Amino acid sequence: MTQTATAPPTFLERLTGRRHAVRTSKDVVVLHGVTKRYPNGRVALRDVDLVVPEGDFVFLVGPSGAGKSTLMRLLIRDELASKGHVVVDGNDLSHLRRSDVPRIRRKIGVVFQDFKLLPRKTVRENVAFALEVTGTKRALVGPAVDRVLALVGLTGQANQLPNQLSGGEQQRTAIARALVHDPRLIIADEPTGNLDPVISWELIQLLLRINELGVTILMATHDAEVVTALRKRVVALEDGRVIRDETGATYHQAD
Amino acid sequence: MFAFIGFSLRRAWQGFWRNALMSLAATLTMVLMLLLLAGFFVLQNVLVASLSFVEQKVEVVAYVQNTATQDQIDGLIKQVRAMPEVASVTFVSREEALAKFRDMQAAQGRGDVTTTLDTNPLYASLNVKLRSPGDLPAVTAALGGSKIVRNVLNIQALVERVTTVTTIIRNAGAVILGIVGLIVLFIVVNTIRLAVLARAEEIEIMRLVGASDAFIRWPFIFEGGLVGLLGALITIGILAAAAQPASAAMAGFFNVLPLELGPVGRDTATLVLGTGLGLGVVGSWLSVRTYLIR
Repeated sequence: MTQTATAPPTFLERLTGRRHAVRTSKDVVVLHGVTKRYPNGRVALRDVDLVVPEGDFVFLVGPSGAGKSTLMRLLIRDELASKGHVVVDGNDLSHLRRSDVPRIRRKIGVVFQDFKLLPRKTVRENVAFALEVTGTKRALVGPAVDRVLALVGLTGQANQLPNQLSGGEQQRTAIARALVHDPRLIIADEPTGNLDPVISWELIQLLLRINELGVTILMATHDAEVVTALRKRVVALEDGRVIRDETGATYHQAD
Repeated sequence: MFAFIGFSLRRAWQGFWRNALMSLAATLTMVLMLLLLAGFFVLQNVLVASLSFVEQKVEVVAYVQNTATQDQIDGLIKQVRAMPEVASVTFVSREEALAKFRDMQAAQGRGDVTTTLDTNPLYASLNVKLRSPGDLPAVTAALGGSKIVRNVLNIQALVERVTTVTTIIRNAGAVILGIVGLIVLFIVVNTIRLAVLARAEEIEIMRLVGASDAFIRWPFIFEGGLVGLLGALITIGILAAAAQPASAAMAGFFNVLPLELGPVGRDTATLVLGTGLGLGVVGSWLSVRTYLIR
């Protein structure tokens, strides 16, 4: 066993039992001059520049229709930029072969406001699903699922169906599913939008803990209280442009 | 590779049973459509068999000179039999012709007029059955060219009329079968599309967590194949159960129809199986494809 002395395994690597090549510190997300024009002529993003270094926690704020969702869809290459470059973990998405897209998506965990859990699968099956459909060996699935369920605190609810869970527990299941691939980046699109304030705080605490484990987090939100309290980096979008990008910022009324 | 196939089959099986209602609806639609298709296919076969039965009735009658010797007649029979267009040749001698004529008169309840004659007025004839009514001119010409043939009964106009009618009916049958096939195709593909649509969210999640296209596509294709196979087997079961009484009824109804059910049954089973499996697979392929193209 020749462990690289300079880079001990991160907590998450120990957690998921998988050892990656030593991660060099670099930017996880780079957007350069990105414009997105939809076929119907609507321009959702205009000349956006954004750099997110590894380990960052970024709030993405702005009114509905400002381009937050479009930005996230560009990152998971659900859409392609009309102009400019979108680079995720060193891969320029506009030059990516179709067959390489799944590989990039496994580096990104996505969490939605409406959870997007499969109603007929238990918590464990929902999380395992992400590994099974990406061809993970069956023997590795069980242990990896157990570890992420422990991390999000759902070990006791592993065999329940989503409709037997509270909203917060459903969202934690979604986070577990997003984590199970050991991603570099978690994209959360208004993850607390359907949750009451106390549960929202619990969820934010969980995301902060995951961020401390070295996972970069990009979270779109309207929750002024959370943004202001945490004093993290805030990127504000309006009408498809970045109008503010500050570290340790608050939620502005205009956002 | 084996792990992938195993995964796909397992997922297909799970998908089928976890959405049992949808799978059942798709399978039953498949069964109904396959029954419709098989019904029209059998009907088309019966039609074609009936038409060729009618066409086989076309017979060329060549009357032979009374002066012809037995050798000459035998030679002509041999020559005609050798023609590829000819199905069979029967020789009716003068005496047989007279006997037939008397029988026909008696059957119609008329008195025997032939007793007033001192000689047999009828000619011996060659009755030639054709493989296809279209060969009539060639056979007529061959018979007419023989020295010992007195004349050939001209039935050209009648044969042409029969051929026109049978051709129209045959084409109409094929067109109707084609239309039914198209309807079946659309309904089955649409049913499978609905079944896949019901699981759009599952596909979306698979895409989001980074499943490759193959991992998304193949379970659905296997599942579509399963629906098709199951539908086809149920249909064949129903047809097999119905075949005996149906053919008995048909034999009673058209007692002259020389319809052999063996090959038709085998063709129908092949058609049902191929269509069911094919539509299941192609339907899923097309339905999932709309979610993969981005």
